[in-house]
Amino acid sequence: MVPELVVATLLSLYRMFAAYLLSLLIALFTGIAMARNRVVEAVLLPILDVLQSIPILGFFPVVLSAFVYGLGPGLGGELSAIVLISTSLVWNMIFGVYASIKSLDPSFDLMASVYRIPLPLKLALVYVPASRTSLLSNSLISWAGGWFFLTSAEVISMGTQTLKLVGLGSFIFDASNRGDAQAFAAGMGVLFTVILATYIILWNPAVVKYTGLTILPGVMAVFNALERLTRLFWRLVVKAILRAWLYSRRLVLPSSTALVLVALLGPQIRPTGFSTGLLYGSLVKYLNMFLTNVWPTLLRVYVVLLVSLLISLPLAYLSHRRRAVGLAACTAGELLSSIPAMIWWPLLLPVAHAAPWFVMFFVYLQGALWYVYFNVMIFGLQYVKRDIIELTDVYKIRGFLYFKSVFIPAMLPSILTGLLSASGGAWNASIAAEYIAFGDFEVDTGGVGSLIDKLAAQGDSLGVLFVALYMSLVIVLLNKLIWGRLFARLGARFVVD
Amino acid sequence: MSTKLTLSIRGLTKKYKAPGREVLVLDNISFDVGEEFIAILGPSGCGKSTLLRIIAGVEKPDSGTVEFHLGREPRVGFVFQFPTLLPWMTILANVALPLLARGTRENEAREKARRALTLVGLGEFEDFYPNELSGGMKQRVNIARAIAIEPDLLLLDEPFSQLDPLTAETLRSEVLDLWLSSVLSLKAIIMVTHNVEEAVLMADRIIVLSPRPAKIVRDVRVDIKRPRSRKMPEVQELVDRIYEYVS
Repeated sequence: MVPELVVATLLSLYRMFAAYLLSLLIALFTGIAMARNRVVEAVLLPILDVLQSIPILGFFPVVLSAFVYGLGPGLGGELSAIVLISTSLVWNMIFGVYASIKSLDPSFDLMASVYRIPLPLKLALVYVPASRTSLLSNSLISWAGGWFFLTSAEVISMGTQTLKLVGLGSFIFDASNRGDAQAFAAGMGVLFTVILATYIILWNPAVVKYTGLTILPGVMAVFNALERLTRLFWRLVVKAILRAWLYSRRLVLPSSTALVLVALLGPQIRPTGFSTGLLYGSLVKYLNMFLTNVWPTLLRVYVVLLVSLLISLPLAYLSHRRRAVGLAACTAGELLSSIPAMIWWPLLLPVAHAAPWFVMFFVYLQGALWYVYFNVMIFGLQYVKRDIIELTDVYKIRGFLYFKSVFIPAMLPSILTGLLSASGGAWNASIAAEYIAFGDFEVDTGGVGSLIDKLAAQGDSLGVLFVALYMSLVIVLLNKLIWGRLFARLGARFVVD
Repeated sequence: MSTKLTLSIRGLTKKYKAPGREVLVLDNISFDVGEEFIAILGPSGCGKSTLLRIIAGVEKPDSGTVEFHLGREPRVGFVFQFPTLLPWMTILANVALPLLARGTRENEAREKARRALTLVGLGEFEDFYPNELSGGMKQRVNIARAIAIEPDLLLLDEPFSQLDPLTAETLRSEVLDLWLSSVLSLKAIIMVTHNVEEAVLMADRIIVLSPRPAKIVRDVRVDIKRPRSRKMPEVQELVDRIYEYVS
């Protein structure tokens, strides 16, 4: 069992880092292109807005089939796993880069054009370093999302077929299916250890170093070494750029790189071979199905968002007051948020029979809470500055008044960002939460998520696609009509750091 | 000063498009620049900085030309109002950056950057990061970066306006020393300012601009011998006279 477990762990880690690197590249190119080119911004911002808030899980069978049928189950499966993990990492990383380049002092651009600094050099020396801090903070949040999706990425079901990749996620999944308690426990132990280790030696030190946040436990040594290595690597990159620049002073890196990205990002889903009449019939059929199922899901999503706030804000307040609470809350959060979705089932089984709604609610919360939680903890608390604390101490502003007039307004930008991401997360989670089949046990609470699951199980990809599209449409409308307006109204206070 | 021409500016006009209307910023600006220190004086927001950016070649005028008489590509140094240093690079790397962008080899670029830093008195701080320096020191780095490329023309965009009065005073005389000592290959300096006294104390010539749209109101030669000081009667007299043009 031990060698098996080691191989599985290494493979899962490799997938996580490969997905992270992929996300990093996409985030840098897309974020910078959006912040620096109005056309790209106008095109990509709404697209990303949609992509971020729609149930990616719903679209996945379609994309996966394309990968696996195109490249074969080996390479195709591996690639689709990496892409699937990336879809849970990349969104807030893109927005992090975009926000930090957008808020970069424009005089840097003036300086760069006065001294005719070529674009590649500007990317390497100005834009990438400028997005460092926000990229690292967002990576910490994303990392948990990646682990959360690990099992879904390693055990891919497409209609009636299931493709399994060797990895920690599938190891635990198999162990629990076999009822092998020992392997299950070992797998879980390794998973917890690996997750905690990556936080303690990598992400926590990174965020602590660049933001000065003190409530994240970490060991600096490995990160410092890694940082030195990265700096060295970066210096070589800059040298290479300079050399290329010296040899050909006309090195052209078209700003249309971004356009290529647009083309790559644009989903290539074109169902072919349908007559318009048939298409129209399906449109109506699935619309009816969607409309009867959307209401419970809608209600659940907003209840979950409210509960997420009610959990996060008091904890943030306590963390703010006592560092020990902060350290505990952050560590617990990092661990709990990373535990892959499928692993919760066996743990929840005892309560599932008595209270299936609790299981549903728990999975929902798992998909949404952490966006609010980490945005408030990592970004929000940075806004509550020392001088504000002194002010409240001097004038003895406490209790409800403190919450109302100091704490919440200071953190408002991060609360809103968190809620927006969490709303996407909650809709996405509906697919995992509303219909759960585990062993001989089944929870079906109805709703759009459950509908998508059932259609997928029947192998009705077209149905999944349509319902997911309708769902996306509703989410986008809600975001534009309700959230967008609320954001605009609070706009004066909305500071992008 | 010699009468040899460094550059000629002819008929510069610039409009900005605001929603629904156009705002004329520069209205037919023409003047010649010899080997001299010119101060461009005008009220805030009159378009002085736009003029400077057009001369630097980073903004295009709607009409008019900027022509250099050097027989080669001109080297232009720019001292920004704010230091504009990249916080993740040492000050040496910051100063060397424009040289690298011009294609100078790395060792040579570092050497030149080091020399420029020594000229502004920061030779021992090359490994410091910008955030470790005071406001005055950062502005010195800004100046070092501009002179490191061995410019023909130095453009200064209200370089002392963000400093405390004492630091500003020191830096003014240092810039003047650099200009007068001819350690630099500098042919001309154009400094934008809204500080009348600063213009009179430093420049050979003062061009006074009107409020927006900027037009040339006066072109005044400053024939007061150096070193100048506030207390000199001819300085005070000229300051008073120029205040009348401005208001």
